[in-house]
Amino acid sequence: MNIAMRRQPLITFENVWKTYGKGEAQVHALAGIDVSIGQGEFVAIMGPSGSGKSTAMNIVGCLDTPTSGRYGFLDVDAGKLDRGSRATLRNRYIGFVFQGYNLLPRTTAVENVELPLIYRGVASRERRELAMNALADVGLKGRETHTPAELSGGQQQRVAIARAIVTRPTLLVADEPTGNLDTARSHEIMDLLTRLNGELGLTIVMVTHEQDIADYARRTLRFLDGRVASDTTSLETA
Amino acid sequence: MLWETIRLALLSVWRNALRSFLTLLGIVIGVAAVIAMITIGSGTTEKVRSDISKLGSNLLVVQAARPDRSGSTSFTPKQLEAKDVEALKKGLATAKAVAPSAQKSVRVVYGSQNISAQVTGTENDYFTARDWNVESGRAFTESEIRGGTNVCLIGATVRSQFFGSGDPLGQSIRVNRSSCTVIGVLESKGTSGFGQDQDNVVMMPLSGFQRRIAGNRDIGSIFVAAADGVATSDVQAEIETILRETRRIAPGADDNFEIRDMTQIADAMASATTTMTGMLGAVAGVSLLVGGIGIMNIMLVSVTERTREIGIRLAIGAHERHILIQFLVEATVLSLLGGLIGIALGLSLAGVATALLSIPFAPSISIILLAVGFSALIGMVFGFFPALRGARLDPIEALRHE
Repeated sequence: MNIAMRRQPLITFENVWKTYGKGEAQVHALAGIDVSIGQGEFVAIMGPSGSGKSTAMNIVGCLDTPTSGRYGFLDVDAGKLDRGSRATLRNRYIGFVFQGYNLLPRTTAVENVELPLIYRGVASRERRELAMNALADVGLKGRETHTPAELSGGQQQRVAIARAIVTRPTLLVADEPTGNLDTARSHEIMDLLTRLNGELGLTIVMVTHEQDIADYARRTLRFLDGRVASDTTSLETA
Repeated sequence: MLWETIRLALLSVWRNALRSFLTLLGIVIGVAAVIAMITIGSGTTEKVRSDISKLGSNLLVVQAARPDRSGSTSFTPKQLEAKDVEALKKGLATAKAVAPSAQKSVRVVYGSQNISAQVTGTENDYFTARDWNVESGRAFTESEIRGGTNVCLIGATVRSQFFGSGDPLGQSIRVNRSSCTVIGVLESKGTSGFGQDQDNVVMMPLSGFQRRIAGNRDIGSIFVAAADGVATSDVQAEIETILRETRRIAPGADDNFEIRDMTQIADAMASATTTMTGMLGAVAGVSLLVGGIGIMNIMLVSVTERTREIGIRLAIGAHERHILIQFLVEATVLSLLGGLIGIALGLSLAGVATALLSIPFAPSISIILLAVGFSALIGMVFGFFPALRGARLDPIEALRHE
């Protein structure tokens, strides 16, 4: 039995198309996607470049909207929301982890982690406390006042994860989170994500090129030419 | 939230110190120019006012009207006469002093030195009218004035030219071939607003001047000082009535004399320098505008440079307005900082300039506040377009930006 069937769906793609360009030059980045991801799932998205996985990720993260079809997030037709509402949705329910960490330069770790809370309007004392806790959660206690330049790649990615989880989001969107890291560091990061998935029930959708990284996820979606070519769920856990 | 944004803006200004400084320079120079120009300008206005008030306060000067250049007149030309003076002295209730005077520039000789000085024949009221005190010695006596005795008072310049630090009282100087005894020295009045040395003068009783120097009985001007608390315009009207009567001017005919109100002249000159100040200020204001464009330029660079940062902020939930406010505040903080430095610089420049030109240093609080407000406004206006551009970025594109 599919795990996704047992859980309440968090994300639903219903015949989602994303089209760029016009006429002859028209390109379908997504050509009719139908997928649903349940609350608490850990899903890896794989596929060659140009397969539409990045476009799908942008839609999942409410950064982009479909050209046609329905993208449902938390029972909301998120594809129809305006810029401001999607910003609020991202701030409340979604955390982002990127390949290049994307921390603000010359800004301390704790200040980076506080950033999403600023836009949520949390008072500074509470903000600082939450940010400190989040940094401790990812194993960076004592590094709070380091700037990204003073941290290793793995540590920077931990700061980014702390920033993503400090708002207690429902969904974590990770775009090749280990792409810039060596094997040992990559596995540390993946262990961290797996723990967050298990402990907090955090839904994780992650794009990756590497099979061993994808193996951390219970479910793998393979994209090809704008469609979901395969959807496999490992049976050893559940 | 706003305080947080201001703090972050200051931090960003600090992190890019060199670039911030160069950006500030435009605003600094603009504000400094405006502040310096206006401060120096209002100092000049004040200087002009005080120079003119040195002529005497509430002073009116009556002179015979002269035919205009074409020779055509709408009045009968007539010199001022002793009986005009008498009539004014008797009839003018609103005057503190009425003094006839005649002037001529002649050579004055003492020992082997000779200089050219302005020689004035007048009465003691002249000193009252012009607020001019006798520093040493004494003024004329009644009998000296009536008899036209050959006594004289000298100005500070004549004194130092002839006597240095010696005592001039009782000495005899030659004025236009006739000698006169120095009975007093006038206090120094300095240079007039018209660039004339007011201390290069010799004063003698009017009748003596007429007989020995001028060779006629003409009266050049009558100086009238309005009594305290009386408007010069009232005195002017009264003088006109009296003189029309004594000079037998038919009703409807034009006056054959002129009354100049020194207070009005002072006002006119002051307003001329104020206009000058305003124009200089406006020219300096153009450099402020250039400074504003500098801010816009650097904010555009800043937005482009920080595209990725904007992308991150948008991705984690910043709204357009958050980004807009962030960059607006940054631009405003930047130009406000420039404004403050500019004010300090402008005031120092004005301080040095006014000291060199020996005019009063008159900084204006309202101009300073205006400069602060204006530089903040420039930041907001010129920061708006770049900020909007940043706020409207597509987060996906922005995150991809290298």
